[in-house]
Amino acid sequence: MEGAWGRILHPLQLTDSGRPQLFPGEVECQLLDGIDLELEGQQQQQQQLQPLRSGVLTLTTHRLLWVDEPHQRSGASVPLAAVCRVYPPKKSIKAIFASPRIRIQVWYASDGRISAVGADRSVVLTLVCRGQANIDSFLGRLEQVLQSKAWETDKASAPGSSSVILPPNSSRLPGAAASNSHASHSKWNPAMAGVSGILRKEQEQWEEADKNLQDAFHDLNALMAKAKDMVVLAEKIRSKLLGGSGGQSMVDEEEPGSKQEMQDWLLSVGITSPVTKESAGALYHQQLSRQLADFVKVPLQRSGGMLAMVDAYCLFNRARGTELISPEDLLQACSIWEKLDVPFRMRKFDSGVLVIQSKEDSDGQVFAKLVILIKTPEALKVGISASDAARAFGMAPALAKEYLLTAENQGCFLLKGYYAGMMEQMVFVSLQTCLKILW
Amino acid sequence: MRRRPGISGLQTAAATRDQYRSLGENVAKIRTDLMMEQLSIFRSQLEEFARKHKNDIRKSPAFRAQFHSMCAKIGVDPLASNKGFWAELLGIGDFYYELGVQIVNVCLSTRPHNGGLIDLEELRGLLSKQRRSSRDPITDDDCLRAISKLKALGSGFEVFSVGNRKLVRSVPTELNKDHNQILEIAQARGYVTSEEVQVSLMWHSGRVIDTLETLMKEGLAMVDDGHPDGIRRFWFPCVGSTSGAVEAGSELSS
Repeated sequence: MEGAWGRILHPLQLTDSGRPQLFPGEVECQLLDGIDLELEGQQQQQQQLQPLRSGVLTLTTHRLLWVDEPHQRSGASVPLAAVCRVYPPKKSIKAIFASPRIRIQVWYASDGRISAVGADRSVVLTLVCRGQANIDSFLGRLEQVLQSKAWETDKASAPGSSSVILPPNSSRLPGAAASNSHASHSKWNPAMAGVSGILRKEQEQWEEADKNLQDAFHDLNALMAKAKDMVVLAEKIRSKLLGGSGGQSMVDEEEPGSKQEMQDWLLSVGITSPVTKESAGALYHQQLSRQLADFVKVPLQRSGGMLAMVDAYCLFNRARGTELISPEDLLQACSIWEKLDVPFRMRKFDSGVLVIQSKEDSDGQVFAKLVILIKTPEALKVGISASDAARAFGMAPALAKEYLLTAENQGCFLLKGYYAGMMEQMVFVSLQTCLKILW
Repeated sequence: MRRRPGISGLQTAAATRDQYRSLGENVAKIRTDLMMEQLSIFRSQLEEFARKHKNDIRKSPAFRAQFHSMCAKIGVDPLASNKGFWAELLGIGDFYYELGVQIVNVCLSTRPHNGGLIDLEELRGLLSKQRRSSRDPITDDDCLRAISKLKALGSGFEVFSVGNRKLVRSVPTELNKDHNQILEIAQARGYVTSEEVQVSLMWHSGRVIDTLETLMKEGLAMVDDGHPDGIRRFWFPCVGSTSGAVEAGSELSS
């Protein structure tokens, strides 16, 4: 975001497919379509600001993100920490005919940038909702997010204050536990000294962790309240029982294959903010398509530039956790890629097999290789078959045949005919050879 | 500790060290046991929550992210819908979709061993292990129904019968590299037998038969039953005849 707005709002990084990049721990809550951003009052005149027109607004647990809609190439953000008040749209007769306006009062610092720290003045940002969005549910979400203040807990947990429920690291010597930060700020107590003291303290910590566990799983609300601690505990258990050297993995003895299983899981959940129908509304398929494009890059590389649609379906859904998408939604997301500027496409083979393919490994490259192959001296005499191409390029014969047939359709070379009495053994020769025979 | 001279001093020091060590080992042992216990509580509770409160979990994006990360770390499958009455009767609801994702997952993770071909029975066994929390057992019919939901994603993922066994194929022909390996073997003499392939590539028989049959359907192989020893041979007229082109091609690709 450049110009005057760039001085006021915070920058926003976008992914390759044009979705906002989130902070670690930041989660997307809701999207709104067709949002104009305006600044109210003197500020606007002073800085000669043109309103930002029809973008996509994303509410996350930490920020409000605005992305330029048609191009999805630039964006800006407002930290929620700087928000001091939200005014819902006015309910008057006049307002019925105009687009609803949500007014948000935010703090800004002396350099003119919206900020929570060192701010003494405030300004009103107006969101003009031109889309058919559900304003009420957005306001509800915004209020929830503002109340939960996720940005504060994130900062607080950074220096390690979340270690309260944790036992000391088992890889250390027992004596080292005393230097644990947990101990250092508690008052010195003779009962806690010596080996027995360390053991007692350890015991207490375990009991506390146990109690925490029981409390947390009492009901859903309790779990929600303690979710952060539980994530830390889960991580701790995981690294203790599975992460360390092979000698410590007690899990294997009881349940063979369990260690392997857990490692499989580690790779699975990867998308913290899956696009859902609920959060994205009308933008669902378009945003899903972008998210899929961001996601599919790595698995596609791993599988050599072509990924079966069924595999992609599984991997993508695994990464989304409980938010399953249906096969139909996946296909729709892939078909939208044509309109977006993404380096992948969906391809359907004659056999009915669907794959995702990166545009870089386009047919053109393969054709060029085929043309070189077909011009080798031997091939000029007898032509090449699908299996020759398959072995030369290290691809499946069926795929090679597909490429040869497509290349033939495009006139790169000609199908010579069925070879040696075999029903479907096709041989391809170059145009040059054909011309030689004809002339 | 005060230092004492002489051999007895050294012995005492060694004994003390041993004592500390055994104490430390004990503590470590207890700690691991406790942790195992916590792990199992954690697991069973998470599984129960995933099943009971699915819709509530989905309502709050922030909590959902935390819940997923717990599941991932502890090794709990967050997909745990029960089959329920409607799913059983009409095939609606999340159950079959979830099962579908889990089936493909099993196929993906076993692919290095079996080349994308798995016995339906083995598949079901692995699934039940993964879904241990779920009360209703999974039947073959459930698997077939779940796989049929994947039809929209194109052909290539299918169930077929070999003898009285049912096999699930997860790699479409276009992406199957097994064929190339058989072609490599065939290059030596122009033909292969299924035993030969089985021995030299260490595949199970279902995989060999499936690959050879696909090659036949693709028109790359011919069957020869006329040999005196009665063993079926698969001839590959395509390999060998244009070896020059292949060599040139392999230079090209390298």
